[in-house]
Amino acid sequence: MSCGQHFKVAIIGGGPAGIGVAVGLAKRGIGPVVLIERRAEVGGTPMGYRKKPGGVPTFVEWTRGRVVFGEELAGRMAKRLAKTDTTIRLSAQVTQIDPVEKRLTLLWPEGVCDVTADAVVLAAGAREQTPAEKGWLAGARTARVGFTRHITGWLDGNGLLPARKPVVVGSDLIAYSAAAKLRAAGSDKPVMIDRRRSPSAGLFERLFFRRWTRPDWSGDVTAAGIKGDRSAAGVQSSDGQDWHGDGVMICGELVPNTELALLGGLAVELPSRQLQLARGQALSEPGWFAAGNVLGGFHGAQWCYFNGRQAARRVANFLE
Amino acid sequence: MTQFGTWQPKIRGKLFYNWPQGACEEALRFTSAGQLGVEPYDMAIVGAGVVGCGLAYRLSQYDIRVLLVDRLHDVGEGTSKANSALIHSGYDAKPGSLESKLLHEAEADWPGLAARLKIPLDPIGGIMMAVTDEQERQLEAAEKNAHANRATDVRILSATEIREREPNASPDVRGGLLVPGESLVDPFMASIAYAEIALANGVDILLGADIAGVELGQPSGAPLHHLVTADGHRLPARRIVNAAGLGSRRLADGYGGGAFDINPRRGQFLLFDKSARPLVQHILLPVPTTHTKGVLVAPTIFGNLLAGPTAEDLPLEDPAATHTTVEGIRRVVEGGSRLVDGLARQPVIATYAGARCACNQGSYVIRHNDGAPGIVTVTGARSTGLTASISLARHLIDGMQKELGLELSPDSAALDCRPDSAWPGWWRRPFENGATDARTDHGCAICFCEVISGGEIRDALDSPLKPRTMDALKRRTRVLSGRCQGFDCQVPLAEIVSGHTGIGIAQLTKNGPGSELVVPGQAEVTA
Ligand SMILES: Cc1cc2nc3c(=O)[nH]c(=O)nc-3n(C[C@H](O)[C@H](O)[C@H](O)COP(=O)(O)OP(=O)(O)OC[C@H]3O[C@@H](n4cnc5c(N)ncnc54)[C@H](O)[C@@H]3O)c2cc1C
Ligand SMILES: Cc1cc2nc3c(=O)[nH]c(=O)nc-3n(C[C@H](O)[C@H](O)[C@H](O)COP(=O)(O)OP(=O)(O)OC[C@H]3O[C@@H](n4cnc5c(N)ncnc54)[C@H](O)[C@@H]3O)c2cc1C
Repeated sequence: MSCGQHFKVAIIGGGPAGIGVAVGLAKRGIGPVVLIERRAEVGGTPMGYRKKPGGVPTFVEWTRGRVVFGEELAGRMAKRLAKTDTTIRLSAQVTQIDPVEKRLTLLWPEGVCDVTADAVVLAAGAREQTPAEKGWLAGARTARVGFTRHITGWLDGNGLLPARKPVVVGSDLIAYSAAAKLRAAGSDKPVMIDRRRSPSAGLFERLFFRRWTRPDWSGDVTAAGIKGDRSAAGVQSSDGQDWHGDGVMICGELVPNTELALLGGLAVELPSRQLQLARGQALSEPGWFAAGNVLGGFHGAQWCYFNGRQAARRVANFLE
Repeated sequence: MTQFGTWQPKIRGKLFYNWPQGACEEALRFTSAGQLGVEPYDMAIVGAGVVGCGLAYRLSQYDIRVLLVDRLHDVGEGTSKANSALIHSGYDAKPGSLESKLLHEAEADWPGLAARLKIPLDPIGGIMMAVTDEQERQLEAAEKNAHANRATDVRILSATEIREREPNASPDVRGGLLVPGESLVDPFMASIAYAEIALANGVDILLGADIAGVELGQPSGAPLHHLVTADGHRLPARRIVNAAGLGSRRLADGYGGGAFDINPRRGQFLLFDKSARPLVQHILLPVPTTHTKGVLVAPTIFGNLLAGPTAEDLPLEDPAATHTTVEGIRRVVEGGSRLVDGLARQPVIATYAGARCACNQGSYVIRHNDGAPGIVTVTGARSTGLTASISLARHLIDGMQKELGLELSPDSAALDCRPDSAWPGWWRRPFENGATDARTDHGCAICFCEVISGGEIRDALDSPLKPRTMDALKRRTRVLSGRCQGFDCQVPLAEIVSGHTGIGIAQLTKNGPGSELVVPGQAEVTA
């Protein structure tokens, strides 16, 4: 990619949502389009859930109420992307945006480079909330305090079990699937704690995961600290409850990846980091759109893909 | 300033990790004292915090055999890694005290030192803000005190003058004190730069060696003492400097050192995301009370905003001295909000706590021939040790020449600087500054939040102190220190470290034995 190149549309992020945008734009014959993905492959979050011999699928294909290998699900989407003329830039991270000029600065293996576009779609996905962001979980800074992303990175990527006695912090769908993944890989029955009185995953979702495990639940934890000297030894609440373990997994409660927008000057609400939408999926500056989990909240992969398709429609309207 | 890679000096010192089954290569592993040679050391420094490292750096300019030991698995990993990261001007010290003298000298040293050693420094200055009538009444005395400390550029500002400089200052601000001499610094790089130069100049460094006791030599002439590690290695030295920070009491008990009482005074901090940085232009300091200096709000050199610390006295050896609490963080937000409007709605990225070495006998207690000839105790560097590290090193050397009969001749081959390639990548940003590079891994981000490449991680692994823990890499490159706190990069980072060093990924640790990233004792399955 020569620097300074101009595209009709630039897509930031190659997860289900970004792929949906690219596929939708191709269907409308809009181009040239560039999709910029900072990892070495497209597919986004589901790609962490690898298909392995003897592996247990735990990525929820929620619209169909079943579990799959995320890699297969995202792989199907990536195939649709491959049939389009989209220019795909891998290992390329957008590090800065200029909303008015619609200019993106990116770092990729050949260096730093700018591209411009008539319209930009932010499809940067989401990450899991950190202890500091939760506000109710403090304590020691030890090893083996990790996220769901690390469970899949260690297990699917490296064949290693991050914790034998996990304490799962969080109680949404992701937390339950994390507990299931750990249990299926041979951990003890996970303990699950959260600030909420009852789990944020619905009854049906919880029943669904009983196939693998039914975590020991404790809710209503208002102030707690991670215990341990060099490694996590569990969590202790300020009212004396004690959950013993050898690893603490911080799961779910997605935080949208809106830092580009925030630092670039698009309207973002604080401290939630939620994008402020002008209308539909349009952001505060004309020509900027968002799709997928960067919009906030938790949405499954298919929802994000179709939300990307919808964003493509909105982009087409804008370009007309 | 814009090239890639790290400096690879000719290294005259030896570096070992006392890490038997550890996550480092065979060549770095310490198995017997013989590896350090048979000659006793002229000087052994216990504690590779910023004080011990600063002393090792200064001593490395002379022709003298020095050993620097620490029980942790990197330099600067104790109190020196968790502080406010400011170079203090000493405006609020007790006039005439040793602290006042050390800070006054250090303030003059720092610009040159930082430029020579490549320690990121930003002299943005501070403003002490009075937010009650009572605090406003204290400003005049504070100004007088500052002038008595030779901080002659300190002067009173009106509320209007403060608002001009700090549009987001609390509406309660009554007035304040301009303190131009305060600066932001990279606190990690201070210890690292000192130790790298010391190592290059021939200081031996032994990490992971807990000094459990001191065997005193015959008290005649210049006795030969031995440091004894917890696992039984004996390290011979003619002189010993106890710079063990909060470990200095236990160590001093081992050689019959004189009376002093220390305890950890915990300081909790809250780190805000980069979006909060434009909120303030200076280091905003509260008016101190008799009990504490109070919660300040300051940018970090890394581009974040920091609020803290608390001041909570805990008993010696209490592991909670570096833990944060929900209540403590709440107090930090409250304290910071008294100075800056809108702080509470800023997104946070991390909390941490540091333990000051509070000493009943005052700041900077120095004892020569303490307990036995040739032994020096230096302790109580409570809240200013990072700043004073350079002037303290000089002061200690002067003292040892006078009191211990230490004779020094300059080492003409000694380095006294690091080259431009030693600036951390996040600071020099080679690509953005126009450098070109044949290695594509410098253009491939691993840490997305701070935009740190795989190439920078490999460079850090190859840097003189051969960092081998995740935390050591974090302090050098800034991986794992952004808003996602390792969500994206933790596992890819471990894969890079394992791939580059050949250490099994299951052996890798956060900060030494016992902090393995995955539960130990499992066979590595190749999937
Ligand atoms: C741990 C975890 C578990 C989950 N489990 C499930 C589940 O079981 N079932 C389910 O349906 N959903 C699950 N989700 C929700 C998941 O977010 C969605 O399934 C879906 O992946 C969201 O698609 P997306 O495209 O919005 O974001 P993502 O899939 O996250 O993709 C965003 C992409 O953008 C890239 N990117 C971000 N910023 C930049 C930048 N600046 N420059 C270049 N590239 C960038 C990222 O690298 C990433 O590839 C889970 C999410 C998480 C975090
Ligand atoms: C909350 C807070 C804020 C601060 N803010 C600032 C600031 O803004 N500016 C400033 O200048 N200063 C500040 N300070 C002070 C500064 O951090 C300290 O004075 C300085 O780090 C002390 O360095 P040190 O080398 O004495 O101690 P340490 O860094 O604690 O080093 C002592 C070393 O000795 C080792 N050790 C101990 N016992 C043994 C043993 N038996 N065997 C082997 N090794 C041993 C330890 O592992 C440790 O690495 C602050 C401190 C705190 C806590």
